[in-house]
Amino acid sequence: MKVSNRVGLFSMCFAMSFPVVAEETLRIATVSNPDMERMQKLSPHFTKANPDIKLDWVVLDENSLRQKVTTDIATKSGQFDIVTIGAYETPLWAKQGWLVDLKGMPAEYDAQDIFPAVRESLSYEGGLYAAPFYAESSFTMYRSDLFDSVELVMPEQPSWDFIESAAAKISAKHTDVNGICLRGKVGWGENMALIMSMANSYGARLFDMEWQPELTGDAWGKTINDYTRLLQKYGPEQPEQQGFKELLNLFKDGKCAIWIDATVAASAITDPATSSVADKVAFASAPDAGLGKKSNWLWSWALGVSNASEKQEAAKRFVQWATSKEYIELVATSEGWSNVPPGTRQSLYQNQDYLAAAPFAELTLSAILSAEPNSPAVQEVPYKGIQFADIPEFTGIGTAIGSQVARALKGDISVSEAQENAQWVTSEVMSHAHFIGNK
Amino acid sequence: MNNQNQSVAEMDDEQLPVAPHRLHGARHFLGLYAAEHVAATEFVIGAAFVALGATIYDILIGLMIGNTLAVMSFWLITSPIAVKTRLSLYTYIDKHMGEKFSRFYNGANVAIFTAISAAMITVSATAVRALFDIPPQTYPYPTSLYFAIVAFAVGTIVVVVAYKGFNVVSDFASICAPWLMLMFTAGGMVLIPALNESLTGYTSLNSFSDFISLAGATVFTGVNAEGQPGIGIWEVIGFAWAANTFAHFGLVDMALLRYAKKTRYGLATATGMMFGHYVAWISAALMGAATAALMKTSIAIVEPGDVAWYALGATGFVIVIVAGWTTANSNLYRAGLAAQAVFPEVSRTQVTLLVGIAVVAGSCFPYVYRNILPLLTYAGLILVPIGGIVFAEQQIFPRIGYKANWFQLKGIKDNTPALVTWAISLVFGFTLNAINIIPFFYLFLPTWFVSIAVYTILAKKHGAADSYPEAEKRLAEHEKEVESYHAQLAKEEAVVVKEKDTSLLTKAIRATWIVIGIVIPAILAWRVLFNSPDLFTYYENREMFYDLAIWCTVIYFVFAWWDLQRSKKLG
Repeated sequence: MKVSNRVGLFSMCFAMSFPVVAEETLRIATVSNPDMERMQKLSPHFTKANPDIKLDWVVLDENSLRQKVTTDIATKSGQFDIVTIGAYETPLWAKQGWLVDLKGMPAEYDAQDIFPAVRESLSYEGGLYAAPFYAESSFTMYRSDLFDSVELVMPEQPSWDFIESAAAKISAKHTDVNGICLRGKVGWGENMALIMSMANSYGARLFDMEWQPELTGDAWGKTINDYTRLLQKYGPEQPEQQGFKELLNLFKDGKCAIWIDATVAASAITDPATSSVADKVAFASAPDAGLGKKSNWLWSWALGVSNASEKQEAAKRFVQWATSKEYIELVATSEGWSNVPPGTRQSLYQNQDYLAAAPFAELTLSAILSAEPNSPAVQEVPYKGIQFADIPEFTGIGTAIGSQVARALKGDISVSEAQENAQWVTSEVMSHAHFIGNK
Repeated sequence: MNNQNQSVAEMDDEQLPVAPHRLHGARHFLGLYAAEHVAATEFVIGAAFVALGATIYDILIGLMIGNTLAVMSFWLITSPIAVKTRLSLYTYIDKHMGEKFSRFYNGANVAIFTAISAAMITVSATAVRALFDIPPQTYPYPTSLYFAIVAFAVGTIVVVVAYKGFNVVSDFASICAPWLMLMFTAGGMVLIPALNESLTGYTSLNSFSDFISLAGATVFTGVNAEGQPGIGIWEVIGFAWAANTFAHFGLVDMALLRYAKKTRYGLATATGMMFGHYVAWISAALMGAATAALMKTSIAIVEPGDVAWYALGATGFVIVIVAGWTTANSNLYRAGLAAQAVFPEVSRTQVTLLVGIAVVAGSCFPYVYRNILPLLTYAGLILVPIGGIVFAEQQIFPRIGYKANWFQLKGIKDNTPALVTWAISLVFGFTLNAINIIPFFYLFLPTWFVSIAVYTILAKKHGAADSYPEAEKRLAEHEKEVESYHAQLAKEEAVVVKEKDTSLLTKAIRATWIVIGIVIPAILAWRVLFNSPDLFTYYENREMFYDLAIWCTVIYFVFAWWDLQRSKKLG
């Protein structure tokens, strides 16, 4: 059976498996990145097969999306029927009763095909509350041509020291290229995703086992010092304004020699249609600091249905379609295998067409599988999550710490001052939340 | 009647209509009402709406409608009677209802104003309680001996000061209004980011609709303190309208509006209703809900002292003490005056002492202040029939050929129809309440109509429709005497009018309290709300607000007091 026929049949199955209802418009909030924008582009396939459903898209950058969606869901405003959320929010929001349990997926959806770690990260008390659209870890993306030009070879497992020396060498020789690109834009899902992961590899942790913040510790000091020095010396201009999307564009334009970021970026930077350096990109693991922990995170962007939605059945129908195997096949048919949403389904990594088209696939898989959200730091921690801590207070804490690091990056305050400030604000929050002491 | 034989010049000014030259313009009433309705009660009422489970839309729309109805009541009911008679209700009753009625009326006032005073002292005591780390009082009665001691001590001080230095506290209260208005608003502004953060993890709001969503999810949730569906828009409208029934339908505010040059100045009450009973109630509710969220407790039991402390830091301590004290002071005064009228044979000291003891004892019971909203509503219900009786005399009787002042003309001792009407109306109102067929905050409406109807019927039977030519002639002569006395008074008082104080020092004093006491704290509060993109910045901005607002407060009171004393001396 041809792929297109299977897609058509699958869409029909979806359409037939739900009762016919009056026309409904689903409001979908999603993040502005190539994979999500592709979903929007391909969504007429869904509406054609489901003529009773119309789609209204709200596409926002990561920070705006997170705040808007959080406000909408937490206040039960019901502006959005479907929200794009991640591994941090899903279990917390499910616990609050803000999301619909996605039970009752049809057999052809094959929920067991989803990587267990990804499925677990989007579950609460055994129920799946958001369906993964794509999953990612982080790794090192670099320009092989620039490495060759300075006679450097990227090791399979680079260290942060090596990354710095490579960035220095390349910057010295290629003044029109930034030696390194790292997220600097403030946000718990922006700069803090990288900084938390990096800190883990440096032996730092956010809290000790008594929930006391450890942000003034030496390991955090070294992390933030190295991070700010790397970006101040070899990074792009105004590094505190560079988030995932900005850095993706910089890399595609040939302005980054090394970029340590989400594995999902790989398809975009190796796509000759959009990237000027598509044939000059290579990959390596996320760096470590010699302490046995790599700085790779685990994340998935997933689609959840708001409990405040009055169109939950229609919304579930769309979520099933967008996160199904058949959607992956639809993308493969229309956009090529290298552009399919990665990281969620085991079957994708057994698909030879995909493996052949995506040179980053195996390393992505290895990064996802090696991420340890249950044991993120060198030392024991009381929380789960690599680039976040799975407590509701992390949103506020993460943004506040990220803001202090960004100030240090700009040179407005010293690193030690940023650490002191971060420690103070985190202690305040944890005290108010009765994790420590009693305020 | 009894005063007619007395020389007009010898009569107490209170017994005479307001002289035309002493009337005020609209500006006076705009300021007066803005000040009058920002008090410690607002802290409690704001939180009460949250505990009663109103939704955000019910609050925004319901309060707007209810307060508009209150303004219209002032404009269309109170103001025309006040302007027509130029008397306070106290004097009106004295002249038109007789001694017995006056005693009952004053007796009711003793009970009402004693309860309000006690409630306001408890509000102040909650701030002192927080300062001494005494546990919050979550029951209707005191559960800590230390709290009882604190309430007793605060109450005693307030009562003694009210007795010894009422005028000083009263003067002090007159300068509080701008500061209270600012701090009520600032408190809400300062805690909104914390409230938002406690729910979403973010400190900033992107739009007004975000604010509505936040307030709907955290403050006005539609669920009451018992977890049941809360009150709806009709109840909110009713509460807002009924909260001041004793002042508008009950005509107590004739005392203020008798000075209005024009009837339409009743509309000036909008400053009090739309700020104190709208912005301040909503702000107090936001503060209460945020404090409850931060303290991880129920808003039904969170105390004004905690609320103000969390919202305003040390300034919060001051606002609760000041707002509670100044409100208690004026109500103590009213309770004392009323008590003296009830017991004219007992010395003023003894009466004041008795009222003081009752107030202090009541202040030990948190039940009183927690039930201030129903208390005000029931107080309104008790006094509304009197408003109905006066309304009938002044607005109905002239239209149906009855004599509005029939009681004066007839020259009898007691106005029996008024007494019976009040009794019937109370029985009617409280029976309706007992059988629970309409919400208690709307009871005042049928009760008011019943009082008008009953009084119209009874008054006719007692001679309201009769003719009293002799007495009318005497009364007309008395009115002429009053007019000529007022004309003479106007000439005398015109001589002592001084030039407006435009000195540089006065301007500098005024600029200091306006800029440092009002503008700077407003800017600081603005920064907390609109320039706190993350928690660190929020805490930093909030700490700066806390640290500076208290000094701005000190400077405000020093310079506003100085300004007041200079204007008294020079103006």
